[in-house]
Amino acid sequence: MNETLNLLIGLAMGLNLLALGSSRLPSLIQAMSFQGMLLGLMPLIMEHEHLDWRLGLIALATIAGKGVVIPTLLRRAMRAANIDREIEPFIGFVPSLLLGAAGTIAAVALSQALPLLPEHAGLLLVPGAIASVLTGFVLLIGRAEAISQVCGYLILENGIYLFGLLLIRSTPLVVESGILLDVTVGVFVIGIIVDRIQRAFDSLDTRKLTALRE
Amino acid sequence: MSGPLLLLAFVALVTAILVGVRSSRWWLALTVTGAVAGLIASLTVLLGATDWEWRSELTLGGELIHLRLDGVSALFLALLSVVGGTGGVYAREYWSEQHYPASAPRGRAWWSALVLCMGLVLVSSNGLHFLIGWELFTVCAYFLITLDRRRREVRAAGWLYLAASHAGTVCLFAFFSTLAARTGSWELGPMREQAGLAPLFWLALTGFGVKAGVFPLHVWLPSAHASAPSHVSAILSGVAIKMGLYGIVRFSGWLPVPAAAGWVVIGLGATSALLGIAFALAQNDFKRLLAYCSVENVGVILIGVGAALLAEANGDAPWGRLALAGALLHVWNHGAFKALLFFSAGAVLHATGTREMSKLGGLWRTMPWTAGLFALGAVAVSGLPPLNGFVSEWLVYLGLFDAVTGRGPAAWAAMPAAIMLAMTGALAMASFAKAGAMIFLGAPRTKPAAHAHECGPGMRGPMLVLAGLCVLIGLSPVLFWPAVARAVASWRPAWAAAEAPAPLAMLGSVHVVLAVLMVAAAVWLWRKAHANSVRRGLTWDCGYARPTVRMQYTSASFAGIATGWFRWLLQPERTLRRPRGLFPTEAIRLERVPETVLEKLLGPVSVAVMQVSAAARRLQHGRLQSYVVYVVAGLMALGVLVLLGGAP
Repeated sequence: MNETLNLLIGLAMGLNLLALGSSRLPSLIQAMSFQGMLLGLMPLIMEHEHLDWRLGLIALATIAGKGVVIPTLLRRAMRAANIDREIEPFIGFVPSLLLGAAGTIAAVALSQALPLLPEHAGLLLVPGAIASVLTGFVLLIGRAEAISQVCGYLILENGIYLFGLLLIRSTPLVVESGILLDVTVGVFVIGIIVDRIQRAFDSLDTRKLTALRE
Repeated sequence: MSGPLLLLAFVALVTAILVGVRSSRWWLALTVTGAVAGLIASLTVLLGATDWEWRSELTLGGELIHLRLDGVSALFLALLSVVGGTGGVYAREYWSEQHYPASAPRGRAWWSALVLCMGLVLVSSNGLHFLIGWELFTVCAYFLITLDRRRREVRAAGWLYLAASHAGTVCLFAFFSTLAARTGSWELGPMREQAGLAPLFWLALTGFGVKAGVFPLHVWLPSAHASAPSHVSAILSGVAIKMGLYGIVRFSGWLPVPAAAGWVVIGLGATSALLGIAFALAQNDFKRLLAYCSVENVGVILIGVGAALLAEANGDAPWGRLALAGALLHVWNHGAFKALLFFSAGAVLHATGTREMSKLGGLWRTMPWTAGLFALGAVAVSGLPPLNGFVSEWLVYLGLFDAVTGRGPAAWAAMPAAIMLAMTGALAMASFAKAGAMIFLGAPRTKPAAHAHECGPGMRGPMLVLAGLCVLIGLSPVLFWPAVARAVASWRPAWAAAEAPAPLAMLGSVHVVLAVLMVAAAVWLWRKAHANSVRRGLTWDCGYARPTVRMQYTSASFAGIATGWFRWLLQPERTLRRPRGLFPTEAIRLERVPETVLEKLLGPVSVAVMQVSAAARRLQHGRLQSYVVYVVAGLMALGVLVLLGGAP
């Protein structure tokens, strides 16, 4: 069971790197949505011995939300804004890949040093979570397009979700669904803002937003 | 009896604020009523034996209203009433409706508000209410300073005043709130037995020192006094800066003071006195000269207060009460003669439209009343007998001399202070000789000066009242002794002295004799000058056949030697173009004395502060990406901190 889970987490970490290295927005969104689906499968695998409707609901909602609804919204925003690639990132694609790789290695090294519970020691959950958070940060810092930043934010959130899986038994359903709802609403809001930015500035380049300070 | 009178004053002033915008006649009647009621109330307390105290069930800001009028506050309230009333009368003609249709109504309302708020500060006996009154009075004074706000320099002076006042108020907030936290209540009153409160004195000294214009904190004072309308300058200098002194006297009386307080206060006083008058001497703007002279007089008063604190620290030496009495009497005296001087400066400004002495001259022919009253004020402010300035400075001197002959450690403070006080007196006389000579003697230097006109009775009356007060205090100081002794007694109950010191009575009679002789000499000179048909010339005609206006002393050359001694401090800026060649065309020598403390010290410091702030502001640029970097960096730093901290 642990091998399957570690494989999934490893895949998710690979998708992180893919997200960092892609200049085209559709492939970024694709990587993110695929990562979301993997994350949705994880609770089922972790608790395959005592499955119940609750877990099923969580998995389904996660896969639907992270894998389908949010990516669809983002694709729509992308089409509306008529943008499909990141042209001038603050951090280039190769440097961000290197940063991401270094972050992943650091996350693995760090999780060795952390005092984890024995049943979590063999899992890649903690390094995967930290690596995803760092990837999210790199995307947020390095990208100029608003849609890339939304993706960065979502990958960061995925990292937090991974961390939350450690507590899957003790987190109530309400909290779980609350987080999911939060993210979805956040993406809705960002979609609207993206549309507004597009109309006001004729571009989604967040650098132009500095004109709004004070 | 004080209670109803204070209530009357309160009601009159509140009504005056309300009707002041509409009718100047009603406003004047109400303001003068308020001032007279306040004066009588304070005199009742000063000449009676009991304090007036009123505890109300009403609350303001969650605190019960508690008012108190004791000797110290009554002394200041009397001064406020006199200057507030005479200034009101003066303002009606000086800042009249037909000259300033826009600002005259506003000015009337703010005037009453200022007098009212200062009165509230004086009577309130609750820290919170004191602060509220203090802030209100600061704001009222700001609006009065900027009455003529179309002029840029007036606005700049107003801002500087407001900024400096608030810097001082920060200290007062700290002072009152710490006091309230330590004692558990905002109530004020004698609490000298709580020795732990002593360090708070430094906060009070700084906060009140800004308002009083003690030397390095005086930066707001010259420009505010010079740019404000003259009746406002008079109340600022005569009363508002005294509120700072009131705070210092009040809280050094009610609270315990640190051991070094006497030394520091006497040192600050001596510095203020000497450096203030050095700056005054170098000014060309006569209102600025008067403003710096206020810094000097605050210094004189602080010397007295410092000597009293020293005396107390040295086992209640009797010379302390003499020095304190001198200081408190000087509060009155300075209020009277400085208001008189600002009123006469206002009359000159009214008649000629300029404050620069190098554009005036020869005004005594056209403005004899103003010239005479200015001369009287100048004699008083220079501390010459037989007027009031001499009486109070003489009391301070007596205290200092007794301290020196007492041979305690206090002698080491008293001796330099006495020497500096003497130098200050001499320089003050030089300053006012210069001011009087430049403005009133010689020939008019410009056309407006030649066409000046005497001020009307509405301005002359208040000046005469104040001049009368100066003469009265000078000729019979014994009359005023009980009031001052009462204030000293409420500062330190142990220092209650029933009898006036014997030399004071003698001083009064000497002054009367001196005054009679001087009047006789003046009459004799007058008759001689008129009987023998003496030809009259210009003041500095020096025997030339055709003296011209440009041969006269200028204000810089008149004081040139004395200002040379203080060149290290004044840092004058010079422009000099020497005559060149065989047929020189033009030569120029200009000298300007900057506001040294402001321009050379505070200016660079505030520029540096602005640069640091501008650099910090660059962090706030609106780029989301960098904000995320800040967050990540912060997280990393916290992580490193936890790792290094050896988390379990």
